[in-house]
Amino acid sequence: MKHSDLNQGILRAYLDRQLDPGQVSAVEEHLNNCAACQREVQVLGEYAACVREGIDRLPHLPEAANVAIAWAAFQRKREDAMASEQSKWTLWKKLSLAGGGLAVAGLVVALTVAPVRAWAESLLAIFRVEHFTVLEINPDTLKSNGLQNNQMLNQTVGRMLSDEVTVTQKPQRPQAVADAAAASKLAGFPVQLLSGATPAALVFESGAGVQMKLDQDRLQSILDEAGRSDLRIPSSVNGATIGVRVPAGIMAFYGNCGDAPSRLLGQEPDSDHQHHIVVGVGGGSNKSHQEADATCVALMELPSPTVSAPAEIDPAQIAQVVLQFLGMSANDAASFTQTVDWTSTLVLPVIRGGSSYEQVHVNGNEGALLRPTGPRQSDRFSLMWVEDGIVHALNGTGDDTTAINLASQLE
Amino acid sequence: MSMAASWVEVEFEAIFREHYQRMVRVTRRVLRCDSEAEEVCAEVFLRLYRSGPGVAAGGLVGGWLYRTATRASIDALRANQRRGLEEELEGASSGQNEDSADGPLTRLLRGERIAEVRAVLARLRVEKAQILLLRYSGHSYKEIAEAMQISAASVGTMLARAEAEFSTLYERQHQLSRKTSQLETAKERR
Repeated sequence: MKHSDLNQGILRAYLDRQLDPGQVSAVEEHLNNCAACQREVQVLGEYAACVREGIDRLPHLPEAANVAIAWAAFQRKREDAMASEQSKWTLWKKLSLAGGGLAVAGLVVALTVAPVRAWAESLLAIFRVEHFTVLEINPDTLKSNGLQNNQMLNQTVGRMLSDEVTVTQKPQRPQAVADAAAASKLAGFPVQLLSGATPAALVFESGAGVQMKLDQDRLQSILDEAGRSDLRIPSSVNGATIGVRVPAGIMAFYGNCGDAPSRLLGQEPDSDHQHHIVVGVGGGSNKSHQEADATCVALMELPSPTVSAPAEIDPAQIAQVVLQFLGMSANDAASFTQTVDWTSTLVLPVIRGGSSYEQVHVNGNEGALLRPTGPRQSDRFSLMWVEDGIVHALNGTGDDTTAINLASQLE
Repeated sequence: MSMAASWVEVEFEAIFREHYQRMVRVTRRVLRCDSEAEEVCAEVFLRLYRSGPGVAAGGLVGGWLYRTATRASIDALRANQRRGLEEELEGASSGQNEDSADGPLTRLLRGERIAEVRAVLARLRVEKAQILLLRYSGHSYKEIAEAMQISAASVGTMLARAEAEFSTLYERQHQLSRKTSQLETAKERR
C-alpha cells in the first residue's frame, strides 16, 4: 500500500482490527518502512487509550437486566402514550383549521411566529390571524421529498408534537346549541349567522390549547431523519416555549350536509376527523360517509387562534426552513418570506393542480377563496376571511359571486 | 392519527427484545441512573412504534434505534448539565459490586471523574459523542456505519477525529478540576 493511499481512517481501523485481512497485511507492510505512519499510529493509539480510560469510568448496566419485565413496562407506557397522543393530534388538526391538503397550514402557523408586542413580564410575542395568503406547492417536489398524501409530513409533525407538548386546555365534546344568542353566550363573541335562514345544526366547539418546548437538536434530527440535513434549524429556537391557543368557536350547517353535523356532534373529543368538512379542499375524502349535496353550506367562526413565542425567534428564518422542507428552492423561500407579514398572516399551502385559489374581498376584508379542481368538485368553494378578529370559513357550492354574497349575509 | 402502516406486534416485540438491553447499556453511560436510561430507551421505542415500520425502510432498524437512542441520551445529558444534575451516587451505581465496599470518599471521587468525562462528551458535537459512545460500548465499524448513516470506510476517520477532540478537552477538563480543588483546599486552610 502506498503512503498516499493510507489515511487516518484506515490507520484507526487497523488499530481496532476492523480491516479485512488483505488490508491488514498491506498496512503492516507499509508501516514497516514508514516512520511518519508509525508515529501517526502511535498518536492515534494514545488518543484511543485516553478515551478508553475516560469512558471506562462511566457506569453501564450488566447483561442481566430483565427484558421481559421491560417489555411489559413498555406495553403499559405505550398504551398511556397512545391515549394522550390522540388528544394532542386532535388539537393540531383543530389548529390547522382543516384536515387533508391544508394540514400543512398548521405547521406554518405554529412555526411562523413573531414579535408584535413585548409583554411586560415575559417578553412574549403574539401571533394573530388577520390575513390569509395562499402558497402554491408543486406536487412534484412534494413527491420527491416523500411528502405525498401528507403522510410523511403528518409523521414529522406528529413526532415534533410528541416530544415536549403540554396540553394547557383540553378540548371538550362538541355540543348542539339552540340559536345565535345561546352560541354567543357560550363562545364569548357575537356569533353571526346567515340572515333569513335557520341552520339545520348549530354546534359549539370548546377552546383548546397546547404548549411546546422547542429543542434545536431534536428538530434538527427530525429533519435529518427525513433526509433533509441540508436544512438547518436556527439556534434561536432552542429552549423556546411556543404556546398555541385555539379559542372556542361555532359551526353552523345549512341545507343538506349529509351526516357531517351528527359526526361532529357524535365524535369523542379525542377523535381525528375535525373540520374536514370545513375546508374540504384538495384532500381528505370521506367516502364511507353520507355525502353532502349542493345545498349544503357550512360556516365556521372562531376568534383568531394565537401563538406566543419568545421575542428572539425570527419567524421569517423558520418559515424559510419550512418552505424549503415543502420543496421550495432556497432563493424562492427567501423571497417569499419577505413578502409576508409573519405576525399576522396565516399561510395556506395548496397543492398546485389540486386546488385553485384567489384573493378576494369580503365585506371590505381580505380573504382567500379556494376551490378543488377535481371533476365534480370544482363548483365547491371554501372562503376564508377575518372580520373583527373572528376567523370565518364558509363552505358551499356555487360561483365566486354566490360565495361572496353569502358571506355578506351574515348578521 | 394517520400512520403509514402499523407494526405487527410480534415483529415489534422481537425488535424490542433484540435491542433493548444493549441500548440501555449504551445510554446508561451518560445518564444519571438506571431508570433514566430505561426511560430514554422506552421513549425511543415509542417513537419507533409511532413512526411505523417505514422508518427503517431506507436502512436497518438497529441503526435507527442506536442513532436515535444515543442522540436522545446526549440531549438528556446536556439538559441534566444545564440543570446541574449529576450521577446518582447512592445505590444506583449498578453492576459494580465492589462499590458497596468503597468508602464515601472513594465514591465521591469516582463521581467527580464521571462528571468530568460526561462534561466533555456534552461539549462535543453530538455526532462525535455518539460515535464514541457506540464504539466504546463495543459496536463494530459496520454497526456504527449503520447507526450514523455513513459509509463503513469513513468510520475510522470520524472516530479518530472524535477521539483527538475528546482527548484534548478531557486533558483540559481534568487540569481545570484539579486546579479548582487545589484552590478550594487552599481556601479551607486559610
